[in-house]
Amino acid sequence: MTESITAEVLRNALVVAAEEASIVVVRSAYSTFIVEGSDASAAILDAGGRLVAQSMATTLMNSMALKIALPELLKDIPAATMRPGEVFVLNDAYRGGVHTNDLLVYRPVFSGGRPAYFTATMIHVSDLGGLSAGGMAPLATDIFLEGLQIPPVRLATAAGLEPAIEAIMRANSRTPDKVIGDVRALIAGTAVAATRMESLLAEHGPDGLAEGIDAYLDYTETRTRGALAELPPGRYPSSYAIDDDGIDLTRPHTVRVTIIIGPNPPVSSPPPHTLSPPTAQPPPHAERRIGRVPGIVLDFEGTDPQVPAAINSSSSQSLAAAVFAVRCFLDPTIPMNDGCLRAIEVRLPPGSLLNAHSPYPCGGRFVPIYAAMEAIFQALSDAMPDRAIAASGILQPFSIAARSAPYWIHLSYDFGGVGARAGKDGPDATGVHFGIGRNSVPQVEPVETRCPLIVESVETIPDSGGPGRWRGGLGSRTVFRFLADAHVTTRGDRLRGAPPGRSGGLPGRLGGFFKRHLDGTVERLNSKVNNVRFDAGEALVIETTGGGGIGSPRDRPAEEIHLDLKSGKITNAGAQADYSLTSSPVETM
Amino acid sequence: MSHAIGVDVGGTFTDVVVSGESVTVAKVLSTHGDPTDGIVSGILLALGRAGVPASEITRVVHATTLATNAVLERKGERVAYVTTRGFRSAIPLGRYARVEEDRYDLRFDPPPPPVAPEDCFEVPERIGPSGEILEELDEEAVLRVAESIAAQGITSVAVCLLHSYAEPAHEARVAAILRETLPDGADVVTSSEVWPEIREYERATTTIMSAYVGPVMARYLRRLRERLHAIGVTAPVHVMESSGGVMSAELAARRAVATIESGPAAGALAAALTGHPDIISFDMGGTTAKTCVIRDGRPEITHEFHVGGKGSFGGRRAGTGVPIKTPAIDLAEVGAGGGSIAWVDAAGALRVGPRSAGSEPGPACYGLGGDEPTVTDANLVLGYLDPSSLGTLSLFAELAEKAVDQRLAWPLGVSRAEAAHAVHEIANAAMGSAVHVVTVQRGIDPRGFVMVAFGGAGPMHAARVAERFGIDTVTVPPHCGVGSAAGLLAGDLSTDRVLSRLGAGDPGAVFEELAAGAAADLGLTLGSPGVSVERSADLRFLGQAHDLTVPWSDVPEELAGRFVAKYRQVYGIEQQGPVEVVSYRVRLTQHATTPPHTLTTHTLTTHSRPDDEPAPDEPHRGHAVTPHERHADPQSRAGSSDTPQILDGSAEGLGDESVDVPQVRGGSVGTPRGRVRAAWFPECGGFIDTPVLTRDRLPRTPGPAIIEDAEATIVVPPGWTAVLSSTGAVILERAR
Repeated sequence: MTESITAEVLRNALVVAAEEASIVVVRSAYSTFIVEGSDASAAILDAGGRLVAQSMATTLMNSMALKIALPELLKDIPAATMRPGEVFVLNDAYRGGVHTNDLLVYRPVFSGGRPAYFTATMIHVSDLGGLSAGGMAPLATDIFLEGLQIPPVRLATAAGLEPAIEAIMRANSRTPDKVIGDVRALIAGTAVAATRMESLLAEHGPDGLAEGIDAYLDYTETRTRGALAELPPGRYPSSYAIDDDGIDLTRPHTVRVTIIIGPNPPVSSPPPHTLSPPTAQPPPHAERRIGRVPGIVLDFEGTDPQVPAAINSSSSQSLAAAVFAVRCFLDPTIPMNDGCLRAIEVRLPPGSLLNAHSPYPCGGRFVPIYAAMEAIFQALSDAMPDRAIAASGILQPFSIAARSAPYWIHLSYDFGGVGARAGKDGPDATGVHFGIGRNSVPQVEPVETRCPLIVESVETIPDSGGPGRWRGGLGSRTVFRFLADAHVTTRGDRLRGAPPGRSGGLPGRLGGFFKRHLDGTVERLNSKVNNVRFDAGEALVIETTGGGGIGSPRDRPAEEIHLDLKSGKITNAGAQADYSLTSSPVETM
Repeated sequence: MSHAIGVDVGGTFTDVVVSGESVTVAKVLSTHGDPTDGIVSGILLALGRAGVPASEITRVVHATTLATNAVLERKGERVAYVTTRGFRSAIPLGRYARVEEDRYDLRFDPPPPPVAPEDCFEVPERIGPSGEILEELDEEAVLRVAESIAAQGITSVAVCLLHSYAEPAHEARVAAILRETLPDGADVVTSSEVWPEIREYERATTTIMSAYVGPVMARYLRRLRERLHAIGVTAPVHVMESSGGVMSAELAARRAVATIESGPAAGALAAALTGHPDIISFDMGGTTAKTCVIRDGRPEITHEFHVGGKGSFGGRRAGTGVPIKTPAIDLAEVGAGGGSIAWVDAAGALRVGPRSAGSEPGPACYGLGGDEPTVTDANLVLGYLDPSSLGTLSLFAELAEKAVDQRLAWPLGVSRAEAAHAVHEIANAAMGSAVHVVTVQRGIDPRGFVMVAFGGAGPMHAARVAERFGIDTVTVPPHCGVGSAAGLLAGDLSTDRVLSRLGAGDPGAVFEELAAGAAADLGLTLGSPGVSVERSADLRFLGQAHDLTVPWSDVPEELAGRFVAKYRQVYGIEQQGPVEVVSYRVRLTQHATTPPHTLTTHTLTTHSRPDDEPAPDEPHRGHAVTPHERHADPQSRAGSSDTPQILDGSAEGLGDESVDVPQVRGGSVGTPRGRVRAAWFPECGGFIDTPVLTRDRLPRTPGPAIIEDAEATIVVPPGWTAVLSSTGAVILERAR
């Protein structure tokens, strides 16, 4: 009896197992993203491919990849053939992966002589080839230009790394030692979590642990369904446009969604692209549930087709976007595992931007999936105006690399301003999508120590937040001046079409990537460029887009406008132009 | 005879320890308006009881939460922040993480910055990562900034320029101009003085926090010295720092951030005083439980911690508070204490915390209007706590039962005792996660460690937490309620210095410079007796970002070997590759003049209480014991003059300001009083009549048993045996 009422203890232990794996990866990896402050992802799954727990810093993008890819791994390498100590890897975007630079690493945890669970880790590794160092290939027209593809293979045995796999990875990387260092870190992370799982198996017994996990997933499903039942029933259509695909700059691409909330959503035979409920076989010990009527349906029918450019997404990433966006309107404390997914049905049309087939490139997946998230945010904001959020600027990734050996690379992103929320201004230059914080933006001193460049400034851009009764968050401006010749690669969006405001609020100010020449003139780059040559002395300027506002700026109280003036969020000129403020300008620094 | 005073000002109580031939303690309520009121009355009380004149005090060591509270309550000094041109927004933008539920919160707001955007200023200048001057400092611009700051009436300034750890000249010049321009008495702090380590954000927040709490700390310590002088205590005042060393009041005012964890540091030192080399300290109070690891008698040290951050699974999550880059005892803390509220969530799961009933309304059993069940209520239902009273506070068992029934047992469909036991277990697991963070996650196997339990609730849970880690020995020190104050007197005079310098040509010169600076801070001469310098360095594998601190060696291979070994211990990875030194550290120490053994071998003679503080339910016991042989043969030495007396403060002695009349009470030693009460142990199948003993009359007792004394209730679960040590500690041992 006490066993079932102290379930919280087991649930925390599962999350801690994943958490420890991610700590080990972060501390021992070489990848630039990780070195500069990003987190590693780690998850616990069962042999049926169910997501059991994920570490706190794991984004849904990565846990969905790990979840969708595990059954694919097991198709190629049956669980019955796996041996203790073995570790497996893949990065195949069409089988759950993300893009070639994101390695998914799995280690089976044995019970009764066969794999019962898998511990999994994942990071964006240092470099695995492709058009541009560090894994950004914004102008790739097929996946072969994005880097080395790895189908499910055995990465290591109890004796160590598979020499053949190591040799292939080294041969395909601009930074062979670092990529192998990253791989070792990923393997070590799975080992730590596996040790924890083994002790949980010993403590609870195989059946006890399985029952505890089943109960955990059921509990999560119950909470998710309860929260979904509180949303207003109805059909809510929306769409969001992508600027361009980077190659044909004249044509936007659109993601469309219809959200169906209600006690009786249409239950047809599941369409072939239904991703939830999961397609994997349940593990033998899992008791199956009765009928599965989704609590919400997200149907992306009508989304534009995939294109031979890097603005497509693999299905796992689109699933992540949809689930994330819905969760933003539910109780945020609901755990993230398969129980949550069981209550949400996501329909991704095959061959669309959100469910690309080989060889359509998937490296720029954040572009279409952020459009998908924004479409859901806007649809649910229509449904619940008191919880509305205006559209946001998004993250703007870029890489700066040596033009020749020895290679150095700086790979990072800046955040756009978040859209205003009903009753609140939007936060400045931070992630709304997937909830990443500013701690993942590199600091200046380590970057300058590592790379031949000077960071001239990191600042917010006054007046860039969309004016409104509730103002959008500000964008930021970062300036890198090069001390050596460099290649610059960028992958931006919402740099042509500004994130709109809601209910009379105005759009955020558009950002962009710019080249500052030696004479000081500034040239705007396209939002997606590959290996643009910069000479020593020239500078890359990154301005991010501000978030949209909510409500008419004329309704913003004078005292809030004055506070914005005082803190430098708006200028006197902006106060007059955007808010028609004519009286008592304030001196700002 | 010289005496030392330890004063620990906590949230509820101010504890005073006077040490000399014996140790005397006093416990008074903290006075939040002016903490020195409580300190003075506590000291007077303790001196009176010890019969020691104020003039014989040669040293005062103080632990204070002043800096912590100033940060948490945002009650520090208004600070202006001056940085390199182009980076005025950096601090307001922040470097927060979004973790757990924040992830999915569209209405998330970043934590407010430690300094207002309009109070951030910038000056043209630029230094490169090797210390080269890329752009000269524009002194005209600095002057204009200084005038602006003066015009705003701001008198505390933090200066943090890029790469100042490599070349502090510009910061020093900015500070000089600011001091010339600002009114006398203005405080100017530079990052190169406070903590010259690479990574500008944490260096800046550490500097800003120094400027923020420094003036508050300086005023407070000035006032404290005046108050002490007024009662005749003229000894120097030392303040404990977060890493367990002590420093002069003058230095504490300049390095106020270094005192943020002074109370917990004292607690860790008190745990170390038990004399075991390898200890896990476990301190559970009303709202949180804290734990730290002591190895070879030394608490583990961390070099970065976060004030006011979110805890998660025992760790303090980076990016959710204000990072402070000074050495601190490596503590894990979880929001699980006696007051943590148990509840059933929407999907029918039992949860404990993070909300706490605090002291108002408090647990349901306090009868102060709380109707939500807490960990304390569960412990009462289980029979672990005395149902008649907790100190002076009468407990209402029926209110605890009602709260557990209505809020937990009925909704869950289980019995009252099962629900209460589940709450107890979940709390144990939460505390276990804190222990996990400081041991297993750091690559330390806790088996073989001794757990030292403190705090009002710690001894009730300690054995159960210990069991989860295969720990077989739990020690409950004689007066765990004032453990931290006793630990203060064990702190060595010490300070730390750090310098980030990649590729330093001559480490010896760097260390010499650091040691000289540290010696100047403490007013000590290098090489004089009792003064030692400990050198360490932060190393990393070339190409990685995270470093580990290891003891220095002049032999590069040996240094690298230490790093690789520590890397293996911490991460479990056999990594190879070139390593580099990132930072150099020294810790300068003058060893404490109070030999710690006086604290372990002499115990409390009196225990005075303010009227409104919980008092024991039984006649007041001054549980003094002799060192050695106390348990084996108490009578043979009890009366001899060279041995501290066995004292038993009688009921009449309670509140008596004079020293209690010693009363030899050898005959009753070891005699259980025959009390029993029903307590719930799953191993026994439920409620079982359980002997209730008192610490000062404790024979070797197998569990299940309950041991009560004035300060704590110790639960001895089945499988454990309690014995009284020669120093008056209760030791729980588990049969293997």
